[in-house]
Amino acid sequence: MLVLWLLLALFIVYPLTMLLGRAFFDEGHLALGPLLAAVENPNNLRALRNSLVLALLVGAAGTAIGLVFAFTAERANLSRRTIRLIDTATLLPLISPPFTTSIAFVFSFGPRGLITYGLFGIGNVKVYGLTSTLAAETITYFPIAYLALRPMLASIGGSFEEASFSLGGSRWHAFRTVTMPLIIPGLANAFLLLFGCSLADFATPLILAGSDFPVLPTEAYLQITGMFDLKSGAILSLLLLVPAGIVFYAQERFTAGRSYVTVSGKAAAASRRDAVSRGARLALLAACVALTATILYFYALLFFASIVMAFGANHTLTLEHYRVIFTEGLPAIEDTMTIALIGMPLGGLYGIVAGYLIGRVKFTGRRALEVISMLNYALPGTIVGIAYLLAFNDKPLALTGTATIIIACYVFRYSPTGIRTTIALLRQIDTSMEEASASLGAGNLTTFRRVMLPLILPAFFAGLGVVFIRSMTAISATIFLVSINWTLITVKILENMTEVALGPAAAFSVFVIAVVLIVTGLLNLTLKRLTAPTLSIGGIGT
Amino acid sequence: MTGTSIGRHARGAAALPRRGVLLGAAASPLAVGRARAAEPVKAYSIWPENYARPMLEAFEKATGIHVNFIRFSSGEALARLIAEKGNPQVDLLFGGPVETFTAGEDQGIFEAYTPPAAADLPARFKSTKGMWTAIADDPLVFMTNGKFLKEHNLPAPTSWDDLLNPAYKDMLQMADARTSGTAVTRIFSLLQVNNRNEDAAFAYMKKLRKNIQAYTKSGGGGTIPVGLGQAAGGIFFIVDALFTRQKGYEVEISFPKEGIGSAAECIALVKGAQNPAGAKKLIDWAVSPDMQSLLAPAKINFLPANPKVAPDPDLAAMLKTAKIIEIDDKWAGENRKRVVDRWVAEVLNAS
Repeated sequence: MLVLWLLLALFIVYPLTMLLGRAFFDEGHLALGPLLAAVENPNNLRALRNSLVLALLVGAAGTAIGLVFAFTAERANLSRRTIRLIDTATLLPLISPPFTTSIAFVFSFGPRGLITYGLFGIGNVKVYGLTSTLAAETITYFPIAYLALRPMLASIGGSFEEASFSLGGSRWHAFRTVTMPLIIPGLANAFLLLFGCSLADFATPLILAGSDFPVLPTEAYLQITGMFDLKSGAILSLLLLVPAGIVFYAQERFTAGRSYVTVSGKAAAASRRDAVSRGARLALLAACVALTATILYFYALLFFASIVMAFGANHTLTLEHYRVIFTEGLPAIEDTMTIALIGMPLGGLYGIVAGYLIGRVKFTGRRALEVISMLNYALPGTIVGIAYLLAFNDKPLALTGTATIIIACYVFRYSPTGIRTTIALLRQIDTSMEEASASLGAGNLTTFRRVMLPLILPAFFAGLGVVFIRSMTAISATIFLVSINWTLITVKILENMTEVALGPAAAFSVFVIAVVLIVTGLLNLTLKRLTAPTLSIGGIGT
Repeated sequence: MTGTSIGRHARGAAALPRRGVLLGAAASPLAVGRARAAEPVKAYSIWPENYARPMLEAFEKATGIHVNFIRFSSGEALARLIAEKGNPQVDLLFGGPVETFTAGEDQGIFEAYTPPAAADLPARFKSTKGMWTAIADDPLVFMTNGKFLKEHNLPAPTSWDDLLNPAYKDMLQMADARTSGTAVTRIFSLLQVNNRNEDAAFAYMKKLRKNIQAYTKSGGGGTIPVGLGQAAGGIFFIVDALFTRQKGYEVEISFPKEGIGSAAECIALVKGAQNPAGAKKLIDWAVSPDMQSLLAPAKINFLPANPKVAPDPDLAAMLKTAKIIEIDDKWAGENRKRVVDRWVAEVLNAS
């Protein structure tokens, strides 16, 4: 416990304190002038409003689509092969470097876009703005909702719906009164995750929002990287903390007063009766297939760009781009893999330990611990990156230029998914399980290890998967932390894109996707071996 | 976390020999042997990797000093150097438009050093205090999509006013002045063309705003969209425009008759450098004809800054008809922040 507090203090509280100091103090004096000026600036207010609108829409749309996919996968009696196809396709956006969807969008929907112009002959389409940013972010982030909701649906199992059917309830009635209330914590959780992702995302708006739809993270990023104005950049992104905090609080209130215990821990019997009607099944399937096809098309485009000389100009097939990434790009590949493989187990462990403490153990400061553990996740990556840079540049903690700073950033920024999954799973497990263990004389640690750990193993693997995936694909925070000694593939991709070197950028992206697919596939296999066959865990890396 | 602290030391032991072996496959054994003897120089490069790498590899071949570098856009590189002031991570800043270097000079991140070859350079290619020196010159150009021009029956634009043509509505991409040195050079070009009448220049930029599809983060960000026809055109550095054409995209390059500016590409020693001796050697080499004579053979379309090096004949022919105007660095540096702020308030957010 003490260790956890120390780590949180060092890697979350301390950097943020340094940053706030920079934002609010001028040479030791409190100076609120810049803050007030920033709040009064109509352009900043417009960016804040845009960010909120975008995040709400992405949260709602992404959660809805995630639910449709999760429900289809769990309840529509699909063949294993179909489910695997959907799993793989929905995971692609999640495991891709952040610019790939945006770039595919720009190619597909602009004035000479492959779809708008090539397919439909429409030449006057604007690709920059709210609509494309919303669509691209939803496609990028809805798999998070899918991954969060599917294990939930799986663990609820068909037996409760079964009970509703046998009491004469209709399918819709069963869904509305039994399934929905049980997955409300999951929905709130998914919405929060997506809202946070969208609020903090700068890569997608950077490419797609254009100049008429500024959002705060991009504005803050440009303020810092372009105007050398750390102070107003910090202030701008601190504006984001307010909505992030409100949503977090609302979610807590929303899910608090209800009980979601599914009595027996993990009793999940296979449904004997179809949970959905034939028509609903077809509609669900059609929706999933349409979106899956779109995603697959985007990635086919990406792959194509990686094997031709110059996309749009010279379509001679070549392996040149792959040669480039495995020679000139090799250091970045080695560095990224090392960092991801070290960060992965640390993040998984931190996720379930913190999640267990928050979800089950009663101690003073539990709420504080929960909020603090979420901070680096809720904050835009740009701010976390700059905060780390400020905090760890000088003695006594001169970590800039090391891998430690990048690993720490990933672990504390991306483990909240593991933490929240642990908490959400724990909410479904009755405390009687632990009480039984305690009454048999087991201590806290033994209870955790022998009873709870096997039950929350899926959350551990979710933590592992997310930290690994993010270590391979994230950029917003770590773009400030890469150094001469340690660089990252994502940073190389961004550089390649600005250098008219689309081929290597695409090749790097394909490589990242392949590696992540393999590693998360192995994780999933391990999890399947470790858990009972009746317990079906959604997708790769959950 | 304590058990996983991987610092530079652990890394040096584990990874560097591996990289040495990899390099060995490309370079001659002699070069590798010498590379190990000298302490490497660390650099932030604003030049993209495909321009910087051939140059820095040639430097290693010539001197045996390996250059470990990472690329950032000008704004990012500068923000980083400022943040790292107390604990510099690199020895020098390589490439990038002069306005980044004057801003850096104001922030006190550089150490004065005057390379011998600086004596040959005209005044606009060196800092009066010796804080930075030019290694190349890079004029701005208009770049337009060939197919777009044909379809709209337009000639390539040859005046700033040509870009105001409604045919270009929502079809131009150019860089954002907050991040890109390209954009800052563009704006100061316009001020200069308007005889430093700021109101006139801003009135023009506000009109041009209606034709802008997007302002990109980096100077070259719009080149692929223009190449693909997703955008009709924009204003870019010649080095990026010609590179787009070399890739096979059908683009036209033209110059405004009123004139357009050029940015000196510079190099500077970072204050507190760990390997100042190696960094100074690299500066000496980059400012001299030794490096700049390699630009044309490598098909890197910067103009040499050193008057002893003749520019590539094709490049020289192209620029013969162009009216390149001079932008006073001192004036630009002093007004930079104010002008960019005005651009953000009046142009960028005027929608």
